[in-house]
This record gives sequence, structure tokens and C-alpha cells, in this order.
Amino acid sequence: MSRFRLDPLTRKKFARFARIRRGYWSAVILAAAIGLSFFSEVFVNSRALVVRYQGRWYFPTYGAVIPGKTFGLDYEYETNYRRLKAELAAKSGSDFVLLAPAPYNAYENDLQEGIYPPTAPSFADGHYLGTDTSGRDVLARLVYGFRTAIIFSLLLLMCNYTVGISIGCAMGYFGGLFDLLFQRLIEVWSNVPFLYVIIIVASIMVPNFFSLVFIMMFFGWMGMTWYMRTVTYKQREREYVLAARALGASDAYIIFRHILPNTISVIVTFIPFSVSGGIVALTSLDYLGFGLPPPTPSWGELLRQGTNHLDASWIVLSVVLSMIVLLTMVTFVGEAIREAFDPRRHTVYE
Amino acid sequence: MKSLLVALLLAAPAAAQNAHWEKAALPANIKWVTNDADPLYADPGAKKGGTFRTCAGGCLASSFPLTLRTVGPDSNDSFRTALLANQMSMTYYHPNTRNPIPGLATHWAYGDDDKTIYYKINPKAVWSDGVPVTAMDFAFALEMMRSKDIVAPWYNEYYSTKFDKILIIDDHTVAFRGTEKKNHNDMHYFYDLNPRPRHFHKLGPDWVRDYNWKVEPNTGAYQISKVEKGKEIVFERKKDWWAKDLKYFKNRHNVDRIVMTVIRDPNIAYEHFKKGQLEGFPITTPQYWHEKATGDIYDKGYAHKLWFYEDRPQPEYGMWLNQDVELFKDLNVRLGFQHAMNVEKVLKTVLRGDYERLNSNAEGYGKATDRTIKARAFDLKLADEYLAKAGWGKRGDDGIRVKDGKRLTARVTYGAAAHTDRVVVLKEEAKKAGIELTLQLLDSAAAFKNNLEKKHEIAYSGWGAQDQPEYWGQYHGKNAHKPQTNNFSNTDDPKLDKMIDDWRAEFSETKKAELSRAIQRRIWEIGAYIPTWKVPYWRIAYWRWLKWPKPPGTKTSDDPITYVLKESDAWDGMFWVDEDAKRETMEAMKAGKAFPPVTIVDKTYKED
Repeated sequence: MSRFRLDPLTRKKFARFARIRRGYWSAVILAAAIGLSFFSEVFVNSRALVVRYQGRWYFPTYGAVIPGKTFGLDYEYETNYRRLKAELAAKSGSDFVLLAPAPYNAYENDLQEGIYPPTAPSFADGHYLGTDTSGRDVLARLVYGFRTAIIFSLLLLMCNYTVGISIGCAMGYFGGLFDLLFQRLIEVWSNVPFLYVIIIVASIMVPNFFSLVFIMMFFGWMGMTWYMRTVTYKQREREYVLAARALGASDAYIIFRHILPNTISVIVTFIPFSVSGGIVALTSLDYLGFGLPPPTPSWGELLRQGTNHLDASWIVLSVVLSMIVLLTMVTFVGEAIREAFDPRRHTVYE
Repeated sequence: MKSLLVALLLAAPAAAQNAHWEKAALPANIKWVTNDADPLYADPGAKKGGTFRTCAGGCLASSFPLTLRTVGPDSNDSFRTALLANQMSMTYYHPNTRNPIPGLATHWAYGDDDKTIYYKINPKAVWSDGVPVTAMDFAFALEMMRSKDIVAPWYNEYYSTKFDKILIIDDHTVAFRGTEKKNHNDMHYFYDLNPRPRHFHKLGPDWVRDYNWKVEPNTGAYQISKVEKGKEIVFERKKDWWAKDLKYFKNRHNVDRIVMTVIRDPNIAYEHFKKGQLEGFPITTPQYWHEKATGDIYDKGYAHKLWFYEDRPQPEYGMWLNQDVELFKDLNVRLGFQHAMNVEKVLKTVLRGDYERLNSNAEGYGKATDRTIKARAFDLKLADEYLAKAGWGKRGDDGIRVKDGKRLTARVTYGAAAHTDRVVVLKEEAKKAGIELTLQLLDSAAAFKNNLEKKHEIAYSGWGAQDQPEYWGQYHGKNAHKPQTNNFSNTDDPKLDKMIDDWRAEFSETKKAELSRAIQRRIWEIGAYIPTWKVPYWRIAYWRWLKWPKPPGTKTSDDPITYVLKESDAWDGMFWVDEDAKRETMEAMKAGKAFPPVTIVDKTYKED
């Protein structure tokens, strides 16, 4: 960590960011949402949080499936806790079931004869945002879809930036033939119609989470290179780099110790937009049916269902509103960062 | 060498002529038959006139055809059926009795070799440009189907291997000779060839391009009168059509004009219908029938709804367990899977109880179907029993069965995003039986290819209905364990193979039906095919000025809005437009006057 200590200027920038309220609170809320989404199982789940049955306590949220037999039911598959709750409540003993606030998971079909999906939002059933066309809880799919999308997007961002920054930095730092070769390669690579490639790949093999990240990284790392190359070029000529070189510092030392910390403001400015870009990309691929395989909960799949069933407005409204809120917040954060890191405010040329 | 080549090339056309047809004499013992004894099904009260407006290629997937040719590149789209409907066949099957009835031919006779069928062409038959239909038009048709110029390899292959020759007796008597023995009824199906106007076509390397947008003369009730590329095609009724008084054609094809417009989005097409700009709309799917097809125009009785049960071969929808996969080699595992698929729940919920359970791989073939075979129902006890017998008795932490450290999981490959609703229910229910199904949704062509190459574990798919059950291609051992065959289950059972071979060679119709039933039983025993659902009906919405005979369809009718003109069947065009009713409806709509709402459920031909 000591290699990557932030210089006072960068710290000043973060302080300035914190003063831009809109962006700052968006960032806080987003971070909280992302953090909480890792514990979605506690809030949105068909498994109960706590079951007390015949004097024993059970915590089914995480861990192995508890078959119905455990609770004196006549089946071996996973306990239906909603029904168990009703049964135990009817017995009026000391046994009880504490369900998650939204008592459905993203996969189960809550189907009853005579009632056909999609069903409208209902507090009595616990479907706060209704169900989709195969009777799955929209809220559950939204929450778990958010988690998938955000993890996907962050992972993609890391991959893209690792490759993009390394190559961009190297291009700027070494220059010459290496730079020239990579420039041409990137130009050619950028012209590969990325969406078609995904469609072709997706129709031959089913992409899973990681292969999709890999494919998108394969065609998405170029964006960062141009910026990094330019910034590195600029930094390379600065006196402190010359000084370091004169002292006999190695290339790696100069890049990691001197150049990268000074380019961090450029990188940080791009992060929020890359995050929203990743979410939009995954959602649109899912919408087109070339994204993650069903039945993975995803916003794109919900969006498609919603647009095909405009009469079931709760589907399309939930997902469209969520998208608007999420992307707006990400944009607020991006704006604030851009503002805070604006080089015109900080750079002093002598 | 060069001169020899030239000589060969010059000689080729003359030799080719003989390969397609030859002059012949009638056999001495020939027995001509015809059929005018079967019941009529069109309405004698039908009125001629009016316009029928619909979408080009059907309102659920409308598009402008890429060509007006009926063979060659890009011709095999849904619009072609309307073109071919007006290229009459020699004979048709009666849509209720399935006996042959006259079309272009007045009489027919069967050769002693069981490979030849003789026809007397109706002397009145003329092409739409007035040229009489003669025997040479059939000879030309065979030549054309075999010609490389039409760029249609399937047709080339089929007509070269299945057809031997056209025998020309005189201008109005002709015979088709095939290469395989067929029973009499089948001959009408296999040895059928529509004539082609010899005076119109000039085959050559440019045929595909030159004839792309040419309107071919035809023999049927309608001819194209207007083509507006990308937008609209109009069919006009021939006022003095040569066949209009033939027994089974009378009172059909009543509307004067059929306007087919391109409306690409089904939702928009449905809006057109609601405004009265289309005469009818197919509403078979539950979503349309129950939700979209409700509201003002139905409540006020301007538009009617019709639910018509048919009785014809059913498409074979289902799941095929690939027996080349280690897991499915075990009969008990297959049976366990059979009982773990909750098809009933899909039917009752997602499909709103509208579809029915398919029971066997060959339903709706009359006597050839064994109706005592019932699909295995969802039953956790039985599933558990069978799977435990196969060694999958234990369950892991996640509730999925395990055996020797392996989880009981299988991949389901399917090719229609619209079916995801159904597959996810099967997946969730299978979990209860301790089976994990992973879903592989591919694009439809890729899914089909994947299955043809036997890369699947479970193929969730369907086969269109044929006139005869497709046992050989799908269940014969000869087609197992190799790519590019339809045997998705890789069924390779010597006992079944023998039965299928016998069935194919069998001549007597009763024995053939008996064998067919035994084959179905055996396929049921093997248990590698899980039948899912059938939709033995069609449902349509139409404006009240569209009138129908009683009953409104036949046993083998398909949805008459999508198939307003239907090739090689004799049930199309039975409705008519009542201009008075149309005027009355228009006025009532203006005045806000209502009629009683009408929903007809016709069960005349419902099975069971």
C-alpha cells in the first residue's frame, strides 16, 4: 500500500468530491446498496430467517437445504417456509417461523390454479412488485438481478482497466515501435462489431457469467488505452520522472511509483461511467436474449417481459424505474468526480 | 477431346427429355375410379363477393415475401402456401374422411406394380392465361424439379430419387411412376406432382433471377392481381374459374379479393384488426384469447370469437433424453425423469389450462394411434422409487440427488425464448424430485443443429405433424449415434427397429395401424421421449360480417385466418363476407348500437 500512497493533491480532490452533496450522497447510497446486495438472502428469500420447531432453532438462510421431513412434513424436498409458517401459526404452540421481509426467491414460481401469471402487486401475498410471466416475484428478480449486474459490471471494470491501463501505460511510456504497433492493433480491434461477435458466440455456446465477462473484456479493453497513453506520455516528460530516471530507478518502479499515482485522477473519472456502461451492456444483451442464460435473474430479461406484456405494467415499471434511479445515481457520482478532479482547478504550470 | 465434350453437351438435352417422361399405353386391365360419394363440407348458402384483408405471411409473423417463385432460393417462407394453394393438385384428401377426391384429375387408377398411379386430367382445366393444362405440363414439372437451374437441391434430390418417370398416354391422360412401392392411399400423397406452365418457363442459368417477381400462371381459384413490393399483395378471384362447379370446390373461395398487407409487428396488426381494418385475427395463445381479445368490440358483438377443435395429426412436442449420455442409458433414470417433469403444472398455470397433455409420440392418426397410452404423470413417489433403484437414492446438501460424488443434473436445450416461462416451471418442480435441470437457451436454428448433432442431454423441441407418423427418422436404430439425424433420443432398440421396418413395408392398412400402435407402446416402454402438450384446436377473432358454414371447419382444418389460402388441402376458403351484415355493423358502430356478444366453442371434432 505504501507504494500507492495518495498524494496530497489527490486527497484534496476527494475532499472536494465529498462537498458536492448530490454526488456524494449518491455514492453513499450506491455503496450501501451494493454492500447490502451481498446479503440479499437475508432480505429477499423464500427460506425463513429463523425457525423454532419442537424446541430446536433453525437458521435456514445460508447453508444446506432443510427437507420438509425435518419439520414433520411429508416431503423430502426443500421446506416451503411460507406454508410452514401458516401451519405452525395455526397450531398455536411455541413453534414459529420468521420469514424474510420479502418471502420469495428469484427462481420459484408461485403458481396457483385459477390465477394466471403475471399477477399484480399484492401486499397480502408478499409480492410487493407483483409477479412475472411465470409467476416469479418481480422484487426478488430485481434485487438479485441488481446484484448480478453490479458484480458483473465491477468485475468487467477491473478486467478492462487492468488490461487497458497496463497496455496504455506501456504504450505511453515506451513509445516508439511498441506504441505504433499497439495503436494499429487497437484501431483494427476497435472495428470488430462487438455485438455481432457476442450474438454469434452466444448462439453457439451458452455464455455463463465469467465467459461473458471475458468476451466483453476481450472487446472492451481498448477504451482506456488511449487516455492512459496520453497521460503517461505527458507524465513521462515531467522533471520528476527524469529525476527518478537519473537516479537509476527501473522502468517498473517509475511506472508504479511515479506515473500511475499521477494518473489516478483520470482513471477515477472514468470509473462511474464504465460501471453504468457495464450495467447497460449486460441489460441490453439480456434483453436481446444473448446474455446470461435463463433462469438467471436479470434486468434485461425483466425488461423484455415487461415490453412484451405492457398490460402488466408493474413489470416494466419496476425495472425501468430501477434503471433510471440507478443510472441517474451513477451519473451523479460521475459528474461529481469529474468536477472534483477537474485538472484546471489543481494543475499549476510553471 | 474438346469436340467429344461438345458432342456430349449437345446430346445431353435430348437424353434428358427421356429421363423425365416417355410415351406409354394404358394397361388393358385398368380400373378408373373417382370419388363423388363423400359428404360436402362447404355451405350451399355461401355468397360470393367482398374483400378479405389479412397480413402477408400470417399476422403473427408478417413479412413481404422475398420472391414469387415457389421453388429455389428464399422461396420456402410462409407466403408460399398462398401461391401453392392456387397450383392445384391432381387429387386432394377429403378433409373429413381422408379419402382421395378429384382436383385437377377427374379419375385415377393404380398400376399393378404398386408404383404407378394413372390420372385423367379434367379437360376443362386451364391455366390462368387460358392455355389448357396438358400431360406435357406434368412432364415439364418433373424436368423442372430435377433441373439444376432452379437451385433447389432438396427438390432435385427428392424428385430424382423418388420419382422414376412421367408416362404420357395422351394429352389428358398421364401417369406418375415412382421408385418405391406404396399402398393406394399413400400414392396420392407421395406420387403427387403439380403441373407447371410449360409455355411460361424458360429454364436456364438465370431462371432464379428472371422469375423472381414474375406471376406464374396457375390453375387455382385466385391469381395475383397487384404486387406492391414491400407493402401489399392482392389476390383476385377468377370469375369464370374452370373448377368453380366441381363438387368439392363449389361454395368455397367466396371472397372476390384477398388483400395481404405487410404489418410486421403482431401487436400493431392486432390494433389494425380492432379498428376493423383486418377481417380476422388468430388468437390461439392464452394471452390473446383471455386478455387481449377482450373489450368493447367483443362486448358489443361487433367481433366474434371462435374456438374450433380439430382432429388431425398433432405436432410432437416433448423432451427427448439422449441415451448416448451415460446417465440416460439406465431405464430407471429415464423413468424417474418421466415422473419428475411437472408438465401438468405448466398446463394448469402458465398455459392457463388451455393446452392439453400429449400422451404419445403419434396422436391424431386415427386407428394408427393407440389411445390407451397415457403420458406418465408427475409423481414424486414413483420418481423417487425409480431413481433410488438406479442408485440415486441419496440427496446432497442442496437437495439434489448424489451418487458416487456426482450430482443428478442434466442440461435441457431449447430454442424458443418464449418457452422459458414453461421450462423454468419444469426446472423448479424437478428440484423437488432431487433433479437439477440446467437450461440452455439457444437461437432456434442453433438449438436444432445442436440436437441434430446429438450434443444435447435433453432436447426440448417439437416436430411438425406429418400425414404419417415419423417413426423411422426419430426412433430407428439406423439413425442413432450419428449426427444429422432426427433420432434425438438415440433410441437403438432391435425390437423396435424390427417393428418399424415391418411397419414401413406393410401394405395392408389395418395391419399397418396395428403395427403403428405397437410401435407407440414400445416407444412408451423405452421412456426416452417425454410428451408435453398439444393444442388440438385453433382460436380466431373475426368481425361479425365474416360468415362460416356449420361446422366452421373440418377435421383437418387449420386456422383459416392465417391460412386463408392453404396448399395441398381442400378446406381453405370456406367462409364468406356478408356485405349486408358489414353495412349493418358499420352503422351500428356509428350509432353506438350493440349486438349480443358471441363466443363459439365448436367441439364437433373434439377427441375423447
